[in-house]
Amino acid sequence: MVTIVIASHGNFSEALIGTAKMIFGNMENVDSVTFNPGEGAENLLEKYMAASNYFDDDGALFLVDLFGGSPYNAASRFVARRENMEIVTGVNLPMLVEVLGRRMAGGTLTELVQTAKQAGAEGIKSFREIFARQKMADFSKDEEGDELG
Amino acid sequence: MIIKWLRIDSRLIHGQVANNWVNHVGASTIIAANDSAAKDDLRKTLLLQVAPGRTKSYVMSIDKTARCYKNPSYENLDVLLVVETPGDVVRLIDQGVEVKEVNVGGITFKEGMTLISEAVSVSPADVEAFKELDKRGVKLTLQQLPNTGASDFMNRLKSKNLI
Repeated sequence: MVTIVIASHGNFSEALIGTAKMIFGNMENVDSVTFNPGEGAENLLEKYMAASNYFDDDGALFLVDLFGGSPYNAASRFVARRENMEIVTGVNLPMLVEVLGRRMAGGTLTELVQTAKQAGAEGIKSFREIFARQKMADFSKDEEGDELG
Repeated sequence: MIIKWLRIDSRLIHGQVANNWVNHVGASTIIAANDSAAKDDLRKTLLLQVAPGRTKSYVMSIDKTARCYKNPSYENLDVLLVVETPGDVVRLIDQGVEVKEVNVGGITFKEGMTLISEAVSVSPADVEAFKELDKRGVKLTLQQLPNTGASDFMNRLKSKNLI
């Protein structure tokens, strides 16, 4: 099973896992790495190294908060010369939940990367944009007959 | 109409149902059968807004759901049916809908209800309806998400001294 490592500035990564459990339920092989004030790249590399002790042959996907931030920069150093690891940035709840679902369905690392990029972007929506395109329900017509609608 | 899964969830269509249960049970269609939501044009519109794009979704009254259930043109339709209360399930059965099993997923706590799990509370009227469903041989299972544990719902009511 592909291991998922969520890495962030501060406690976001830990909290995101707790939040995702409300939507997805129990999950295994998901780890969080936090980057705290006063820490540097070496601390992050140590944390990634410790997490990697639990990786299996299916590899690992790092979901990090911010492209170019320290958790990303350290992850890129960690991943660049290792096999079977990838990083996707901009981690959010829709991304994590979809990745967990795809992984449960047997998704490979390559597939999970695609899912992460797609779900992370598609999860961002504006209510007004959708609502303006939606047809309003009309009970006086909808309730008639025995046809779905 | 083939009811692949019947879930009691007072939020009707929301993230958990949309994302997890539809995939898990393999339904092509979601029907939220609920009289007050069906009559409320804005609520109905907003429930349909959050339904997953890859499935067809409907919000209909209990009566209309039962009529559609009997319409032969939907004979092979795989449906995830969501209702708000166990009383609604009794009404569907009374109108000819065949129900063997019910997933008790979420009933939001309100004044006068008893909390029986993290996600499920029951009113005295709910308890009576669950007893009726049990009497009619419907299997009742408490389960919030596809990958969280399932347990026997009537045993849970017993353990809370509600029956």
